[in-house]
Amino acid sequence: MVSLQAYLIVSLILLITGLVIMISRKNIVAILLGIELILNSAALNFVAYSKYTTNNLDGHIFSLFIIVIAAAEAAVGLAIVIRFFQIKETIHIDEVSELREEIAR
Amino acid sequence: MENTIAGYFLNFPIFQAIAETLGVGLTAFLIFFAFAGLFTVILATVGGFGTIAERKISADLQARIGPNRVGPYGLFQLIADGIKMISKEDIMPRSADKFLYYLAPFLCIFGVLCTVAVMPFSKNLILSDLNVGVFYAIAISSLVGVGIFLGGYASNSKWSLLGGMRGASQIISYEIPVTLTIMMIVVIAGGLSFNTLVEAQAGMPWNWYIFHNPFTFIGFFVFFISTLAETNRAPFDLPEAESELVSGYHTEYTGIRFGLFALAEYIEIFVVSAVSVSLFLGGYQLPFNILEGTLPNELLQFGSLFLKTCALYYVVIWVRWTFPRLRVDQLMSICWKYLTPIAIFNLVGTAIWVVAFDGQSMFQLFFGSGAH
Amino acid sequence: MFINILFFSASALVIASCALMMWTKNLMHSCVYLLGVLIGVAGLYLTLGADFVAATQIMVYVGGVVILMLFAVMLTGGKDFQSKTQQLLNLLPSMGNKYTFMWGGGVGLVFAGCLTYFFMHLFKVIKVQEIDNNSYSPTIEKLGELLVTDHLVAFELSSVLLLGALVGAAIIARPRKERPAYIDDIEHDHHHDEEHH
Repeated sequence: MVSLQAYLIVSLILLITGLVIMISRKNIVAILLGIELILNSAALNFVAYSKYTTNNLDGHIFSLFIIVIAAAEAAVGLAIVIRFFQIKETIHIDEVSELREEIAR
Repeated sequence: MENTIAGYFLNFPIFQAIAETLGVGLTAFLIFFAFAGLFTVILATVGGFGTIAERKISADLQARIGPNRVGPYGLFQLIADGIKMISKEDIMPRSADKFLYYLAPFLCIFGVLCTVAVMPFSKNLILSDLNVGVFYAIAISSLVGVGIFLGGYASNSKWSLLGGMRGASQIISYEIPVTLTIMMIVVIAGGLSFNTLVEAQAGMPWNWYIFHNPFTFIGFFVFFISTLAETNRAPFDLPEAESELVSGYHTEYTGIRFGLFALAEYIEIFVVSAVSVSLFLGGYQLPFNILEGTLPNELLQFGSLFLKTCALYYVVIWVRWTFPRLRVDQLMSICWKYLTPIAIFNLVGTAIWVVAFDGQSMFQLFFGSGAH
Repeated sequence: MFINILFFSASALVIASCALMMWTKNLMHSCVYLLGVLIGVAGLYLTLGADFVAATQIMVYVGGVVILMLFAVMLTGGKDFQSKTQQLLNLLPSMGNKYTFMWGGGVGLVFAGCLTYFFMHLFKVIKVQEIDNNSYSPTIEKLGELLVTDHLVAFELSSVLLLGALVGAAIIARPRKERPAYIDDIEHDHHHDEEHH
């Protein structure tokens, strides 16, 4: 018998890993990988709660929408990354500063 | 579990006795496991015979003799080929990505073999009658695309890289018409499990879904063309186009790893043909019902599926040795400009047909309800 | 028992792949480990009886997102780009170094502590039902009904979102025939600055 807490621990590990990858990596594609992990942890939580606390399937619907949104996000995000690489020839996140206000040196 | 292989065997007294000591779940799992291993071996043999069929049929089409030295009519050529594959030196390019290079062939064969888990070979000869059967089959078979892409990338060779990229983009693109066409059948049958789809086609050939309405008739050809492209068969074999890319994504692979790629391709053709037969050509259904519920009936059903699948397999090989290869842009425009719109049109048309004629097929409309 | 084995193998796959994803310096390998995570999460969905969600997870992620990621890595070169200057932010390699990992790990630990602290109280409020893990009921029919009744607006909006993403991604990633004038201006400015230095 697997308890709800077990699922929540796995989900927490997914979330923390995604967060650490997002903070520590400076490659835009790696950051998108971290975002995928975080979205997955949220979806897993929805399904786990829907099984253990409520008897309906609304949690499943929510995780389906999360998967759909993750796919859309990945497609647009990666398109932006590829376009950015064509222009600047780097995918270092700190180079993405075109719209930043000019700081007086 | 009623309609699976484990459920079938649990009806026998000896397995019931085992189930009493081990528990029903574990016994069912052991039967499942044993048959999964058996299926793997049988499918590997089928894949091996696929290579022979390819060579013999191509020889026949080109008025040659083909392999005829090993065994009667060269039938044991697959053993010779297998020994050659295994005993060859396993070479890895020095600058290859070692981990991905080793992983890629296994991803390919894993994706293909996992698809077989939901294939109904007869009424009870099905490993797992999943509730989401068709959907699962489409989903897990996309691992093959990842395998091809990684194989192309990890070899660190320009031909492999181009082949892998072509393969991945081709498989992603052609998944769309395939999925839309399967959706059409799902709309008619009202279920995603393979047994639901096949059992609705019971009886004479005019109950098959290919003759259900005009849209499914078009849909069968859309599905067939798209699966040709998804399995990287000619005229869509751009990932391994030997005239431009040496041999594409498996250029750098030798020995048993190359063998795994080739085996995955031939098994995938067989599986995809079996899926086409199950969706459109009546699957394991027999036109007559003799000895229902007994072992000979199961064997006849299996024979029915196997015969139709082999016929489709012949057509696949026939197409390969008849048509010239397409260009990359032609391949993409066929998918996105022709097949996908046709598939969407078919889906909408079938939905309207099902609502308008209350799910009746063409035959039932023309000849009354005497079709069954 | 069987569900426990499935749960432990799936969560072991998830956790091991997560750890390797953090550990590896190769972005391509990272994508492959992501594949492991996604398949493991699909296995966890199966243990929760969510068959359709699991199949959708494999369909969308393995067939779509991971291959897109691999394409993006290959088109942008998954290398450890060397920094151009030796100052502050540009010192960081694109796959991170030990300082960024220390920061990330610290923030992660603090975040995990906060989350567990907050949700500890929540567990006293939420009533966890006693359920039979071995009972299994198909979800597809109910999911289909829910999608076209209760969640119809969200369903339609997600289709619009997907269409927008499709068109948007195609427009953004499309290579242009000639380079826009402003890029030349920017590069010209950069050269100008460097000459001054």
